[in-house]
Amino acid sequence: MSREDQLRKRAKELLAKKEVVLVLGYRAGKRPGSATPAFVTRPEDADGLIFDDRCGINLAAYLPRVKHRGRIGIVAKGCDSRSIVALLKEKQVDRGQLVILGVGCEGVKDNGRLSDSCTTCAYPNPVLCDEMIGEKVAEREPAPDPLADFEKLTPNQRWQALMDDVSRCIRCYACRQVCPNCYCPTCFVDANNPQWVGKTTAGSDNIMFHLMRAMHMAGRCVECGTCSRGCPMGIDLMKFNRKVAKVVKERFGAVAGMNPDEPPALAAFDPNDKQEFIR
Amino acid sequence: MQSSAVGVWRLELRVTQRILTAAALDKLVAEWAKSGAVYAPVKVKDWTEFRRVSSLAEADLTQVNTKLSARGLLFPQCETMFRFDTSQPDRAEQAAEPGAQVILGVRPCDAAGIAVLDKFFAGQGETDTFYQRRREKTTLVGLTCSAPADTCFCSAVGGSPTGTRGLDLLLTDLGGKYLAEPVTDKGSALVKGLPEASAPDLAKKSELADKAAVAITERIDTRQLKGLLDAADSNPIWEELSLPCVNCGACTFVCPTCHCFDITDEMRKGRGARIRVWDTCQFCMYSQHASGHNPRQTHASRFRNRVMDKFKYTVDQVGEVSCVGCGRCIRECPAGIDIRETVERLVLVLAEQPADAMQTADCKVQKAK
Repeated sequence: MSREDQLRKRAKELLAKKEVVLVLGYRAGKRPGSATPAFVTRPEDADGLIFDDRCGINLAAYLPRVKHRGRIGIVAKGCDSRSIVALLKEKQVDRGQLVILGVGCEGVKDNGRLSDSCTTCAYPNPVLCDEMIGEKVAEREPAPDPLADFEKLTPNQRWQALMDDVSRCIRCYACRQVCPNCYCPTCFVDANNPQWVGKTTAGSDNIMFHLMRAMHMAGRCVECGTCSRGCPMGIDLMKFNRKVAKVVKERFGAVAGMNPDEPPALAAFDPNDKQEFIR
Repeated sequence: MQSSAVGVWRLELRVTQRILTAAALDKLVAEWAKSGAVYAPVKVKDWTEFRRVSSLAEADLTQVNTKLSARGLLFPQCETMFRFDTSQPDRAEQAAEPGAQVILGVRPCDAAGIAVLDKFFAGQGETDTFYQRRREKTTLVGLTCSAPADTCFCSAVGGSPTGTRGLDLLLTDLGGKYLAEPVTDKGSALVKGLPEASAPDLAKKSELADKAAVAITERIDTRQLKGLLDAADSNPIWEELSLPCVNCGACTFVCPTCHCFDITDEMRKGRGARIRVWDTCQFCMYSQHASGHNPRQTHASRFRNRVMDKFKYTVDQVGEVSCVGCGRCIRECPAGIDIRETVERLVLVLAEQPADAMQTADCKVQKAK
């Protein structure tokens, strides 16, 4: 039985036995090579479920929106499972209401090519799941640190590189909206009394948004790349996220979305935390 | 409107189609660049964007549909309306007058989008000064689509890969040379004196047009859709359709016809500017009242608004669907939502249900009162 058949069969069972009210998975889109999230509530609709390299969007982002419905089955790649862990840590969803259908992932496509975030993926298999659908996939040799070139730049050059990147931003907030970590009822950019960030697409407003967002991702971002893939303007948002994740790993030895029982790196205090930056 | 069959026919009889070699177009671009700004699709990474160019060589006219439509050149995402100084409350420094611009390589769908914007910003009733003065100084040179993308569906919403609506001049790439079809007097003036097109040139164009037309298979009965949407406000289908939508603004910002904006004051030490920026019905803040009440609180209601706006509200307001089928919202949706599929599903579900059954429980309660 193919992995897809197994997935459909399992989803059908879960729905038929009323173990879950909804299976959150993927279905094929109309456009060739595209997929879109599927919200399956009837066993007979489970036949439309797919899983392959089209399935890039991180489904964990939908959990805060559907959790009120009851017990939910969710298809999770390695990165999605880490986002679920991140949501569990932040108490946005209860473990007991999830049936995590894990899938090994060989990388997803972004405009026909292997997504940039997948090139450095160290966790192609789910770190947390209730059952595996299909076999685990072999772990890949991650590409060399994509930040190497960026880090060689002088601070001024780095600033310029980031400003160039964000100059194309149209402030559609696709990056924020597809991000499982962005579940705040009111985002800092939407707050208007007082207004924290200007609404224009001037460089200063755009960089303010992206830097603040990056800071909010520190210790939480699992580098799934759904923001980069989702950006209509092709901005390399992973540059921000990777840098922040790298710093958190170096400073606190923490990797986001691995263990639901560990607090998020920046939400915990340890007397041994490095703090020589406080002068 | 001049888009009636008779009007178009007359227009075609009146104009002389001309031939423009690549060298002649290059010369024209250089000439236009002397007296104003010339914008054309320019290759950026894997896509093209409208950028200011000074020669044809900088442009890439081979790809369909730039990242963003040309709308930003007439209705910029951020625009300073005026500057002020609170120490001189009776004075405002007006924004500078825009200069002349030629936009080259506008695809027919985008040009149709500008024609839709014209109705809202420069049509009957109120005129938007900021838009209007840019529009008056803009010349639109279009480019026929001979190889539509898999997201294109202009002909399903009343357009065509060879459509001339909104344009001043339409170019068709015949390989090494362009067929130039003036649409307005402004367009005729641009190519005045150039050699007339021969019969084989015209035949080649119609061959390309036929090829492009069959490449687009999507069909939407927009009249039926409008009728169905008239009674679909409270239908539970919106909840289902909106599930994958993450309510970002990508679809609306890349759309050639979306035209909502927000106005904001930016001030520092008493000096500031009143700026207008694109806004979108997909954002929660868009419809948030000062009282805290939000008439479009739910994801589904915001998703519904976009679809209703394209296929119903603008039909009610200006008499036409405001989707031009450019497919950008399909291409750029981070959740893979396809407006064509949304419409198909709407027609399927709404056409099956009698109007009465389409009301949800609370609507029925309201009616009963």
